[in-house]
Formats: sequence, C-alpha cells, structure tokens
Amino acid sequence: MRRVLAFLCVSTFLCAGAVLSRRVSADDLTERAKQLHFSSIVLDTHDDTTQRFFSKGYDIAKRNSDGHVDIPRMIEGGMNGIFFSIWIDGRITGPPAVEKALDQIDAVHENVRKNSRDMVLCRTAAEVKEAHKQGKIAALIGVEGGHMIGNDIRVLRMFGDLGVRYMTLTHFYNDEWADSSTDKPVHNGLTDFGKDIVREMNRQGIMVDISHVSDKTFYDAVEVSKAPLIASHSSCRALCNHVRDMSDDMIKALAAKGGVIQINYERSFIDQAYKDASEKLTGGVVAQFDLFKKECDDDQECFGRKMAEKQKQAMEEGKLPHVSWERIIDHIDHAVKLAGADHVGLGSDFDGADMPEGMEDCSKLPKITEALIRKGYTDDDIRKILGGNTLRVMEQTEKVSRELQAP
Amino acid sequence: MLRITLTAGVFVSTGAFLAAAVTADDISARARKLHFSSIVVDTHDDTTQRFLDGKFDLGVRNVTGSIDIPRMKEGGLGAIFFSIWVPSKVTGPEAVHRAMAQIDAVRKQVHDHPKDFLLATTAAEVREARKQGKIAALMGVEGGHMINSDLGVLRSYAALGVRYMTLTHSGNDEWADSSTDKPAHNGLTDFGKDVVREMNRLGVMVDISHVSDKTFYDVLETSKAPPFASHSCCRAICDAARNMTDQMIKDLAAKGGVIQINYHIGFLSQEFRDAEKAKPELQKGIQAEINKRCGGNEACQLVEGDRVVREYAAAGKLPRVDFTKIIEHIDHAVKLVGAEHVGLGSDFDGAMMPFGMEDATKLPQITEALLQKGYSEGDVRKILGENTLRVMTEVERVSRELNAGS
Repeated sequence: MRRVLAFLCVSTFLCAGAVLSRRVSADDLTERAKQLHFSSIVLDTHDDTTQRFFSKGYDIAKRNSDGHVDIPRMIEGGMNGIFFSIWIDGRITGPPAVEKALDQIDAVHENVRKNSRDMVLCRTAAEVKEAHKQGKIAALIGVEGGHMIGNDIRVLRMFGDLGVRYMTLTHFYNDEWADSSTDKPVHNGLTDFGKDIVREMNRQGIMVDISHVSDKTFYDAVEVSKAPLIASHSSCRALCNHVRDMSDDMIKALAAKGGVIQINYERSFIDQAYKDASEKLTGGVVAQFDLFKKECDDDQECFGRKMAEKQKQAMEEGKLPHVSWERIIDHIDHAVKLAGADHVGLGSDFDGADMPEGMEDCSKLPKITEALIRKGYTDDDIRKILGGNTLRVMEQTEKVSRELQAP
Repeated sequence: MLRITLTAGVFVSTGAFLAAAVTADDISARARKLHFSSIVVDTHDDTTQRFLDGKFDLGVRNVTGSIDIPRMKEGGLGAIFFSIWVPSKVTGPEAVHRAMAQIDAVRKQVHDHPKDFLLATTAAEVREARKQGKIAALMGVEGGHMINSDLGVLRSYAALGVRYMTLTHSGNDEWADSSTDKPAHNGLTDFGKDVVREMNRLGVMVDISHVSDKTFYDVLETSKAPPFASHSCCRAICDAARNMTDQMIKDLAAKGGVIQINYHIGFLSQEFRDAEKAKPELQKGIQAEINKRCGGNEACQLVEGDRVVREYAAAGKLPRVDFTKIIEHIDHAVKLVGAEHVGLGSDFDGAMMPFGMEDATKLPQITEALLQKGYSEGDVRKILGENTLRVMTEVERVSRELNAGS
C-alpha cells in the first residue's frame, strides 16, 4: 500500500508524451492484443483490496462504482492472479500487529471461500496455473511489512502456513530488524535477526519483497537471500526520483539474482512532475499519509474518500499535473531495456494508491498488453511481463525451499 | 492443564485398588495384542509447554515428564492432542500471539520428526498415520480467551490444524463461564453461542472440560455436533467442579459425546482432595519447592509439580493415589452411559499423575485392567480411541453439511 500520496502542483502537464503520439488504430492489432492478453496468466503482485473487506459497503463479487478491484472487473480486465496485501500501519507492532494481520489473512480466506466459483486460494506457481486452467482467479497473499510478525520468527512461519507467499520486509517505518526507505536508518540495513528472517523466508518458500525497504536493506537482502527476490510494487528511480522506486543499479542487482521488479502504477512513483508537486505541497509520502490518518484514523473508506475529494479539488483548480497510464509503459520499458524482459512484472497497488488516468481500475489492464505490442515487444516477452516472470520467481523460491528443507 | 493446587493430610493409601494393581510386567499377551492393535488416542497433553524451552527434545527418552516419542511408542500411544495453553490471566492480542507461537512449536516438532509424527486434522488422517506406523499429532486450544473474542482468530487456528477448543480455562473468558470462577455470563453469552456455531462449521470439536455447568448445558443446546470433555472425570466419585455430574455425563452421551477421563489425582481421588483441604500449609511447602526448582518456567512447574507431589505421597505426607482410580472412573462412566461415550484424556505433563501411571509407557495397564474387569475387546478399543475418532468423524460430517448450506 502506498496510500494517498500525491496531488497538487501547478501547471498543466502534457508530458507523458512520446508514446502517445504513436497511437495506432488498427483493429487487427487490438484484436491480437486481446487474444494475447486473455490467453496469458496476468498476475498482479500488489493489491490493497483486503482493506475493503472490512467495509460493509464493499462486495468483491459485485461491480463497485469506486475502488479498483472486484471480480467482475478482474474478469473484464483479464486479471487471473492477485496478491491480496495484508497491511496495517507500521507503528502498530507486537501482538496487536500479529492479531490484526491474522484478521486480514482470515478476511482473504473468507472472501475466497464465499466466492469459490470464481476464486481459489493458491500457494504455488503450479496452483496458479491450475486455477487458470479451471477459469478461476488465483488469490494469493502477501504481508506488507515485517512489523506484522511481532518480531517473532514463529509468527512468520504461521503466516507462511496460512498461505502468505511473500513478505515486504518493511512498510513506511523501520521495523525492529530492517530499515525502510521512508524512515531514518537505524539498523544500517538488515540486522542479524533480519538476516535470519530472510533465511527463514527462503526455507519456508515465502518470497522476499524488497519494495519499501531502504537501499542498504535491499543490498543486504540480495546478499543473504538464497532465492530470487521481488519488488512487489516499485517503479524506476531513473524516471521518477522517489525513494520508493529502484535505482538502475538496484534493478540490475535484482535481475542478476533472478528477481523481478513489479511496476507500481502510483502517480507519484511514475511521474516526476507529479511527485515534485506533491512533495512540495504536502511534505511527501509519510506526511501525506499522516494527514489523512489524523482525519480518518483506521477507517480505510474514509481514507479513500478524503483522498479522492482532495484530488478532485486540486485537479479542478489545475494544481495537479495529469499523469497518463502510459507512464506505466515507460517504466516497464526502461526496466526491460536495463535488465531484460525476464525481470519486469506488474504490481499495480490498486486500491492502495492513486491511479494514473487511463488505468482507473483493473478492467483497463489489456491496454498494457496492447501498448507493449505497439512498442514491438514479442508475445513471449509480453507474457513474461504480464505474469510469467512472477511465476518463475515463485517456482524458484519453491525449489530453494525444498532444497533447504531436505534432510 | 490444571494448575497445581495442593493439599495435605497424612494418608497411607487409597487402599483396595492398590491390591489389584497391575505392573508393567503383568500385561497379558491378550492385553498387549489388543492394546497395540488399537488406535490409542489421548485428547489432552500439556507437553507443548516443554517445547517452548529450547532444551527439551521430544525425540529422546527424558527422565522427567510423561511424554516423548520413545515413551509414546513403548506405551502404544497412537494419537496425541497437544494442548495450546496460556494462563487465563493472559488475554487480548498477547494471548493470541502466544497461542500462535505454541501452534508453531507443535507444527515444528512434527516437521522435525517426520518419521515418527504425522500432523492430523481428521479421523481419516489419524488412521492414515497408524497405517504409516506414525503417531498422529493433533492440536487443541485449551481456553477460549486465546481467540480474544475474534472469530477470525478462531478460523486461523482451525486453518493451522487446531481440532478442538476448550471454551474456557480456569477463569471465565469474555463469553463463557468457567467452573472455577465466579459466574459472570450465566453460561454462554450470545457471542459465545456464535463461537460454538462457528466451531461446528469449521469442524473444530467443542470441548466442555473446564466450563461451568451452565455453560455446558448452553453448549449442548447450541452445538449441532457432539461436544466432548477432553479431560474431566466423574463428580460422583470425586467432587470437583472440574468433573462431570452423572446427569451431565448422561446428557453429553445423549448428544453423542465422550467424556475423556483425566488422570489427575486431584480429580480422581476424593481422599486426595479432602487431604488438600485439611492442611493448606502443605500446599505452601509444595509450591515453595516447585518455585525453588523452576522459578517462573511454566513447563517446569507442571512437570515438577507432578514429581513433588509424588515425593510427598511416597513420604506419607499425602494420600497415595493409584492408577486403578482411573479404571474406577472409566467404569463408573461406562456403567452410566455405555462404552461408546468414554475415552482417555490424561493431562500428562500438565497434572499430577497417580502411582502406576507416571508416563505414557504405562498405558497398556489400562487395557489390561479393563480386560480383567470383563470388558469386551470391542469396548476396550472404543474407550482407547475409537469413541474419539467417532466424534471427530461426526464433527467433520456436521462441518461439511453446514458449509454446503452456507
């Protein structure tokens, strides 16, 4: 979850630029994109929809007028696999964090159970493929923030047994054993215990997610992990200089280890102008988060509403630059040029971030496939980016886990 | 688990039964054959507490406590419910966190001893474990306070393999009264009833050991599946609030449930209880001795409590309770409701064991004693484990039905 950053800024930006001008209207290309998209396994590694399960007005089975994800729109957008994010504020720690995380894991389980005709809980790449074969959406679980294990490796194992398949080592704040990219460093990366956590994740077959962590934590994790890592929802710092994004060197190091950067669609992570404007006026990601936190406490629906209101207002006043969904393509393309098509994927941050124009919800996902075709990507490369790469990391993580657990 | 509350009194013996005591060497070939071909299920063991102290090794024969793999094998114990327990005074998220750590500890033991254990969550898996020559490991949560009034936590426990929950421990929780606390809810609250219904849906057995009589009757009325008492004895023989009256045993049986006899001497023997009351100062001495040996280590306190009391009894300071008292309770319950509704719930590693039942190796003596009493082999098998497996199967069936309807 990135939660409410952004908005604001003067000036009308047209910027997303170059790609736009290449618009082609050939129906056959659109048709080919559709075929490719809907025959691929499209896997999104980061969605904050879990928070909505706790709100009375939300039903994942129905088409909702707000938010980004529900079953009808997933089907419409050809989204076959989703990592539901387990997230609580990083300042909640210890046993209360553990219990709240359990509640969210349970909420995912319950929503999958109640919609078992459309969704199935998956733990392995093979299960995701099987779900796809059966025409069901693969539901997976990621824990977004190491603070939720209550500084206890035993809780990590229980999360794993409950189906959690990745853990982001931190959220906005440092936890007891790892530094975050949006907090003051106190551990110089991973502590010794943090390294043990990474090793245990390897053993349990839980993917190590380095989104949100400080650069030093990232390099420590790369050094310690025996399995490839993922950035479940991060973009490229070279295009948008945000600490939540990855530098070219980090992307290369991640790829060298067999990992994948899953591009985040959040406006202030993909667009420099938007990010600059937002920071100038609000003091950045965490300050923005705290502002809404003060007004809404833990009410996620309130969060979303306030954010939308303020953005709408800022947009109307011309204070926020427009950000086109095609910036997502720029980030994908940058990472592919840097590290190859084997190391890039999709991590939308739907229901947890501000979507760019044209990517208002998951029904718009086929546009990514079409844009990549227009850019000249091969079908194979597109399939990898849409989900194949994530499945490969999952398989590799499972293999490492089997090896480490072998007697 | 029972918390050590001790006693006094200078007792010489519990008498009559001692004379008929069977020793390990006396197990007849017939009893041995019957015992080791039966699936022996024990529905309550507090060994989990020992896992938390990193030094305990379940894989080797220990000189202390009652349970480890070598002794389970020697005693023909085929399935064990490891108890997840934190004291009633620990509540809220802290209780949830500690319970999770214990569930992990059990799962880790099973994982670390793959040749000896299979984690089982159904009756069929218990039978499969036997087929593979392994011990079935199961889990029960001993006290509803560990869900912190949160059905999501209950479901998480179930997903991790918990197959029964005792609705309270020795204190009331937020939604049910305990037999050893002042009633605050008049049995089960409305939420408590929802907990029972959700347990039915999840296929988690409802355990009425520890609860107040009113809670018990509320459960009988609410539960769609047979409840059971994972570790309780007969109040007619030993008048403890933790034991069941004849009427309760009958009502439990009428619902298809099972009373799993607890081996704790304070629940088996009226003499022992009376002695406890007579000399409270002795209890202080025992507690001081336990504290000296264990400090704040709960697992140690449980194991040493058992030892110290036996030392006191051997020295004539406390009544000596023999294992045949277990047989007496089994027999009382069987006469009352038939052999279909009685089983074994030792409370090993959580209570004070009688002489002759110091650990799991002594279990074949129960089979021997029941045969000597004239029980049929079929009835003995039921008591040893088949009754518990029947309740599990029934609970699973109810769960499937409720899920199909939802």
